[in-house]
Amino acid sequence: MMTWAAFSSEWTKLKRMTLLLSTFGGLAVAASAFVILLFSQAPAHTVPGPHGGPGGLPSLDVLARPNGLIVGVDRAVMLLGIVAFGIAAAQTASEYSLGTLRQLLVRQPRRVRLLIGKMIAVLVFMVLATAFASVVAFGVANLMASSRGVSTSAWYTGTGFTDLLEALGRMELAVVGYSVLGLVVGQFLRSAVASVIVGFAWMIAVENIVGRILPSASKWFPGVSLSAIAANGNADANVSFDHGLAVAGVYVVVAIGAAAITFSRRDVTA
Amino acid sequence: MTTSQANQTLAVSTAGLTKRFGGRTVVDGVDLAIPRGTVCGFVGPNGAGKTTTIRMLLGLIRPSAGTGTIMGGSLTSPQSYLAKVGALIESPAFYPQLSGRDNLKALAKLGRISSSKIDPALARTGMTARSKDKYRSYSLGMKQRLGIAASLLAGPELLILDEPTNGLDPAGIVEMRGLIRSFADEGITVLVSSHLISEIEQVCDHVVMIRAGKIVHQGPVASLREGQQVDIEAAPENDSDLERLTKVLETAGHTVAQSGSGLTVSVAGDVSGADLNRLAAENGITLRKLSEQSRSLEKAFFELTGTESADVPVGQEMGAIR
Repeated sequence: MMTWAAFSSEWTKLKRMTLLLSTFGGLAVAASAFVILLFSQAPAHTVPGPHGGPGGLPSLDVLARPNGLIVGVDRAVMLLGIVAFGIAAAQTASEYSLGTLRQLLVRQPRRVRLLIGKMIAVLVFMVLATAFASVVAFGVANLMASSRGVSTSAWYTGTGFTDLLEALGRMELAVVGYSVLGLVVGQFLRSAVASVIVGFAWMIAVENIVGRILPSASKWFPGVSLSAIAANGNADANVSFDHGLAVAGVYVVVAIGAAAITFSRRDVTA
Repeated sequence: MTTSQANQTLAVSTAGLTKRFGGRTVVDGVDLAIPRGTVCGFVGPNGAGKTTTIRMLLGLIRPSAGTGTIMGGSLTSPQSYLAKVGALIESPAFYPQLSGRDNLKALAKLGRISSSKIDPALARTGMTARSKDKYRSYSLGMKQRLGIAASLLAGPELLILDEPTNGLDPAGIVEMRGLIRSFADEGITVLVSSHLISEIEQVCDHVVMIRAGKIVHQGPVASLREGQQVDIEAAPENDSDLERLTKVLETAGHTVAQSGSGLTVSVAGDVSGADLNRLAAENGITLRKLSEQSRSLEKAFFELTGTESADVPVGQEMGAIR
């Protein structure tokens, strides 16, 4: 009940128009831009390669298949993950920078309940934003398919819908993972800007560089694991969906545990 | 007094409350005893430990040592008493993109407080008209008033207001004073902190003075003035009598300082203006001015701490501050 109160309070903050527009709109625009790029750059016919096209892009033939819409998910999920991480980190860090945390703790002194309620609210928000972006991207994909003469009949088969829903489910799981890590990093660093910089640097630079120097280490990275969840396995890093799920799960559980312990013990001087 | 008796008569009581940050002791063995139903001023210079003490009372900072009871609940379990407490801690802090009303709504939901409490709190602080505007558009005075409104949401029995007049213009300060007094009239215990002692003096009936983390005095404001020296302003009808009047008063054992065309005479509490008038008349001096200045809390504070400036830490000279 107390966790519900924290959820409900956080939701009052999250549902403000500016955040709704920037998050839901931003993710929808990013996903749509990705779809537009995918269709506009796709070659007409299948050529040898993992996705049937140059530069890893699928061909129009591949896009017309029942699973045509999800072949580029592994490329999009990093972008989605970074956005989710940044927004989640900003939600917790700003409570420190604005000083609002002290108000919240006077009204809800049970800190772990407050933390869990806030986390659930942010995760639900990000899941809804991702679902909205997916629906918009699906509409844009139909328009792009029409403009490039790609048949969409296979998308609307049972197999097509099943593949699409499974991909959406995996993407949502990954977004939850990125969001949890963002929330925790934001809580530790207490600065939205610092959290976003650290998150970006880790996912874009550290995982890439270390992964190239020491490829076997890649499969233990949180970013690689989460992208493997979203894309049903990461062939480049040789990480299966199950392995990614297990590794990311450990990261998420440890991160939440560490956040709960520090949050419940830390003096609030902001 | 037994613990249960203390809980009935005291809103806040602490014993040996201490907070250390690393090797620095910010609050040092504070024993608070704030009676229920009073407006208690918590005064001291900047950095004296007021805010840290208040944060410990609100469960935001974990004490390094000491115990305490707030509204009958133990300091170690803030959830046992915070539902009865409203607080404005330092500057008001709200979400800038939300309206004042939505900010209160978020807090009310968190505290499981009925949303019907929001309108009365806004009305009480004069914020109804601007409640739908974004918080970021508010003036400092309005932000402060919204902070007070937030503290009223829970229908508190104890209000803790940390520097509530910070940034307010003179009219706002007067308004805040009135608001604080009205809380007391309703039986709410108010703990109001300030580094402006003169502010506290006008609204409080009880005072706690803290300096360098230690309490230097606590008790009713009236008792602070009892037994202390009183200043009497006196001026002779003829300026030529000024020197003679000075000698007469000094001979009688009073401390005299010249101020303009008159004198400021520091006398013991049992000496009145009438006594001085009689003394002057006996020596053939007619007074054209005679007025008792009630001893200000500020002077009492400086006498207790032995310093001139409220911002100067004990043992530090003014010139050393950069």
